[in-house]
Amino acid sequence: MSATLAAPAAALPPLRRRLDPMALLALPGVAFLSVVFLLPLLLLLWSSIRGEGGFTVNGYVRVLGDAYYIGVIGNSLQLGLITTAGAFILGYPAAFALARARGYAQVVLFALVFLPLTVSIIVKSFGWGIVLRRDGILNWLMLNVGLIERPVRMIFTEGALYAGMINVFLPFMVLPIYSVVRMIDPRYGDAAATLGASPWYRFTRVTLPLTLPGVVAGASLVFSLAVAAYVTPSLLMGDRYMTMSMVMAKAFLNLRDWQLGGAMAAVLLAVAAMVVVGASLMQRRLARHGGAA
Amino acid sequence: MTALGAPAPAAQAGASSAGHLVVTGTSKRFGAAVVLEDLSLSVAKGEFVSLLGPSGCGKTTLLRCIAGLLRPDAGRITVAGQDITALPAHRRNVGVVFQNYALFPHLTVAENIGFGLRAQGVSRAEAAPRVAEALALVRMGEHADKPVTSLSGGQQQRVAVARALVVRPSLLLLDEPFSALDRKLRETMQVELKHLLREVGITAIFVTHDQEEALVVSDRIAVMNSGRIEQLADPATLYGRPVSLYVLDFVGQSTRLAGRIVAVEDGVVTVETSLGPVRAPGRFAPGSRVAVAVRPEAVTLGEGVAGANRVSARVSEISFLGSRTQLHLDLPAEGEDRGVVELPRLPEGVQPGSRVTLAFREADTMVFPA
Ligand SMILES: Nc1ncnc2c1ncn2[C@@H]1O[C@H](COP(=O)(O)OP(=O)(O)O)[C@@H](O)[C@H]1O
Ligand SMILES: [Mg+2]
Repeated sequence: MSATLAAPAAALPPLRRRLDPMALLALPGVAFLSVVFLLPLLLLLWSSIRGEGGFTVNGYVRVLGDAYYIGVIGNSLQLGLITTAGAFILGYPAAFALARARGYAQVVLFALVFLPLTVSIIVKSFGWGIVLRRDGILNWLMLNVGLIERPVRMIFTEGALYAGMINVFLPFMVLPIYSVVRMIDPRYGDAAATLGASPWYRFTRVTLPLTLPGVVAGASLVFSLAVAAYVTPSLLMGDRYMTMSMVMAKAFLNLRDWQLGGAMAAVLLAVAAMVVVGASLMQRRLARHGGAA
Repeated sequence: MTALGAPAPAAQAGASSAGHLVVTGTSKRFGAAVVLEDLSLSVAKGEFVSLLGPSGCGKTTLLRCIAGLLRPDAGRITVAGQDITALPAHRRNVGVVFQNYALFPHLTVAENIGFGLRAQGVSRAEAAPRVAEALALVRMGEHADKPVTSLSGGQQQRVAVARALVVRPSLLLLDEPFSALDRKLRETMQVELKHLLREVGITAIFVTHDQEEALVVSDRIAVMNSGRIEQLADPATLYGRPVSLYVLDFVGQSTRLAGRIVAVEDGVVTVETSLGPVRAPGRFAPGSRVAVAVRPEAVTLGEGVAGANRVSARVSEISFLGSRTQLHLDLPAEGEDRGVVELPRLPEGVQPGSRVTLAFREADTMVFPA
């Protein structure tokens, strides 16, 4: 913490500076990404603007001018936002519990948060099926308790989809917040209390601002993952709820329509890029304010 | 600020008339470890009291109990006659300067100082002049808009003090406020802070493990030993009349010899030590194991006054300390005995290996149960 705290605000990297030899350390990573990520991506974008007679924006007109595809983009954004919000609501307090827990309690909490990552999404979706089916465990339980009179449909509903998405992406929210909370001196809260600040004032004026960098990191991570989600929505909703990634998969695999797939990929990329750039700008602002703890 | 003027309920007024802060029978344990043990303390209004003791003796724990950051298992704490034992920290109006200051890293100097006022509902417009006044008080006016992370240790301490004082607490607690400063700065800041707090007229409790610091900043010193207050007295009494070997050792130097009482008469005991008999005022049963001790400056080299205690020993080491010189003595019973004598100047001919005769008055000799 002290290293970050001690960094004066003015020490943010100036825009123009001589190349740091340390930057060379990034070279292997950059080379790797160029081959496996950048090159295919450029080819994809290239295919999105190639038509019968050479260059065309037809792909983009088809995607952005069609109510169906606009609906798909809307679905993806909505799924991204709800997943991010849900993961934040569940993950923020969980990150605190994780950071403040000691001994065995911490081991157990860690396992609870991270074990789901090691279970394949396929296995999980079968598990959800067993729980959520019409004749599944949850319906059986609610029937027997008397909560409901006949089985309710849960599987293949949006509620089940959101629950599944939050489950899958929760760790990506918890981890960055946890790492920030762990570095916050609990005496900041103590100091605020001795100055007469109520618990709510302490939370909104001390804890929240100090943890915001972790929240921004977690939220941008979860949002970009959720907005591009393919496996979870396909397994939990099928064709009833199309996301951008599902349209792309269909375009490439079934329709062999590279123009449509490429254009949809470009839109998704633009959304993700906006989130990442927006988040890092926000991080910079927070760091300038000394908010990074 | 409200607690200051709060009238004491009639039932409590009598009990608390003794002090502004009264801690009664306070205990605190963490699991099996007893950290505070039936501790009582009374501090008068406007008084500076130091809690002095080694690391881990419970100083911070006591401070946190008074501030309301920890709930004691037993006991009662009153400030200005008001029982605050059950109040949460934010309702106590007890200011704290934390060890390493705990300034809010996301706020500027002025925002840190204004935090308490804003938290207590003071409007921005009303807070501004009070923040400016507090900034001026600690001479940090020109740093108002700097981030606190860019300040030096001494400046951070000033901000922490101003932040605590600006809400006009009824009591200020300072947890090792100088430990983060280097030695030179520490000495200046001790005097400066004492002067400032005196000017404000606040009641303050300093926590420290440094006896010199305690002597500089406080009116009275409470020497703590594993969760209890061993002695609470003014510096001169603490130094001249320590109640136990623990206090004797913690405050100042001494020459000390273990021994056994061989004679008792009229409040004067004779103790047989490894360097011969020593007489001292005291009441002990013959045969008791004791330790006799004398402060370095009460010892003279040579025969001394008539009737003085005299022992002779070999000088093992000489330390020149500028204004005075310390002689370290070679004592037969290593471990139990300790020999340090301080002289304004070193007599001719004394060097490591010399045999010297030490004289000290009976009245200056102290006896403690071993
Ligand atoms: N929250 C806590 N949980 C368990 N033990 C603690 C806690 N706080 C302090 N202690 C223990 O209590 C003892 C006294 O601590 P403290 O009051 O901080 O001592 P000091 O300030 O005199 O150095 C120490 O042994 C410490 O380990
Ligand atoms: Mg301490």
